Amino acid sequence: MSQVEIRITAEPVDNHRCKFVVSQPLHAAGVRRFASAADAKGSPLAEAIFAIPAGGVTEVIVSGNIVTVVKDNPAPWPAVGKAVGAAIRAAAASGAPAVAAKAAPAAGVVDDDALYERVARLFDDQVNPMVARHGGHVELIDVQDAVVMLRMGGGCQGCGMADVTLRQGIEGMLAQHIPEVRGIVDITDHTTGANPYFQASKK
Amino acid sequence: MPRLLLLLPTTTYRTAAFVEAARRIGADLTVASEQPSTLEAANPAGLLTLDFHHPERAADQARDFARHSPLDAVVGVDDDTAVIAATIGERLRLKGNPVRAAEAARNKHRQRELLAEHAVPAPRFALHLLDEDPHEIARSLVYPCVLKPLRLSASRGVIRADDPGSFVAAHARLKAILDSCDAAFLVEDFVPGYEVALEGLLVNRRLHLLAIFDKPDPLDGPYFEETIYVTPSRAPAGLQRTIADCAERATRALGLVEGPVHAELRYNERGPWLIELAARPIGGRCSAVLRFGEGVSLEELILRHALGMPIPSLVREQTAAGVMMIPIPGAGVLQEVRGVAESKAVPLIEDVQITAHPGERLVPFPEGSRYPGFIFARGASPNVVEAALREAHRRLTFVLA
Repeated sequence: MSQVEIRITAEPVDNHRCKFVVSQPLHAAGVRRFASAADAKGSPLAEAIFAIPAGGVTEVIVSGNIVTVVKDNPAPWPAVGKAVGAAIRAAAASGAPAVAAKAAPAAGVVDDDALYERVARLFDDQVNPMVARHGGHVELIDVQDAVVMLRMGGGCQGCGMADVTLRQGIEGMLAQHIPEVRGIVDITDHTTGANPYFQASKK
Repeated sequence: MPRLLLLLPTTTYRTAAFVEAARRIGADLTVASEQPSTLEAANPAGLLTLDFHHPERAADQARDFARHSPLDAVVGVDDDTAVIAATIGERLRLKGNPVRAAEAARNKHRQRELLAEHAVPAPRFALHLLDEDPHEIARSLVYPCVLKPLRLSASRGVIRADDPGSFVAAHARLKAILDSCDAAFLVEDFVPGYEVALEGLLVNRRLHLLAIFDKPDPLDGPYFEETIYVTPSRAPAGLQRTIADCAERATRALGLVEGPVHAELRYNERGPWLIELAARPIGGRCSAVLRFGEGVSLEELILRHALGMPIPSLVREQTAAGVMMIPIPGAGVLQEVRGVAESKAVPLIEDVQITAHPGERLVPFPEGSRYPGFIFARGASPNVVEAALREAHRRLTFVLA
């Protein structure tokens, strides 16, 4: 059987979060998020990434051809990224599903993964192209109990109007397009924004 | 639900406090700024761009907006937007100040003229053009005096001069600061004394006193960088009443009738003196120290008043509270701030907010006016609050390059 070359591009968001864009899909059936090694059991790709020695991996999200890895150690991405790339290649080459399909939620329970996918699509298709005009970007971190956790970056981080963007813009768009979302939490550290688009300056 | 038009300049510190207050009271919120939000197209009823440089034009735009999204109140959050709010309010017949009164509060010269006309104690003043020969002006003055821009806020450009030489030097600095944005400036007597800030809410012409803050660090110049505000004031009760009375007389002199008032006053052996009065709430993030009744914020009071909603209480909590506007540590590019965790660990300290960002150029007074952050404390007495603020500040180190 001929081996198809797999290309992986690493796109660090910051020192804790990096997206790995793979030249072939790894999980076509929506988004899988793993918040711990225990969560990852049964999903070989996620298991391998959590098992990276001294990787400090705290979260793995697999969606289509994108693997997002979050780590809590200060090591730069090139050190950990190599091992992540190896894990991705191994999973893709194995021929087995890289991640297991998620069990269906119990009746009446909001499916956070399904919501995550819809919110991610809204961010990709509508929110981020808009905020990009001010050099900003909004990253979907998680959906838990139908509450969206996001982080603002670029021109949005530390911006004097970030709350307006959040409450008058993003929240409104979520309410319009995904009314199942129950809330929105901004986990951005706005104090470390190095290039806010609007900077508070008046007394 | 009532719809509120909130005028938020893109440079304000107060976005979060006002937006959250609007959410708490359940108002439909429209935020207007002088520059468009990138998400305006996604929420045309909630986001609006207005011409903040031309109040009449802004009122036209607001009137057009109100045709499809009727407005029940308009609120400005700073000196400039207070005038725009008044202009929009008059156009749409909403509750607010007359435009003439809001403009008088905004223009320090007009304000002093009206205070003098109504015999409100205030420093003697004279208006000068920047193009006048400073040596000639210097010969005509009584010292010490204070040079003051007509429209800048946060004491930016305010400089004390003690003699003709220092006046000429101060004039040159002020001219550079004002550049082409103002052709005139004020020279007024320096009033020695202890300075306080007063926060109030005008309801149908009556000034309700919300708080008087002591400013324990002397503000004797040559520049007038604010540091600590602590409330309740330690001034005797009788003196506080005369301070509040002086501020209320000033609001009547200017013709203000509704909404927030922030005043700076000094007192000495001759009683209180009105230094500045603005038709807006306290600036920066300082309002976070004020809580009323069961924890209602100042912003919520302001929005409830504007919308005609019930106000649970205008009485500030019993606890003493204070804020330090962190002094600008010097000129340079901010690399990092050390000791924030240690500063937050000081007993009574509620929060330490660093608002300057890494890479930001810090500019000291009088050219600059942007404080690098704020420290908040709450405790049993003004003295312990003040001590906590000083200790928390002592633990911070600003690394500049």
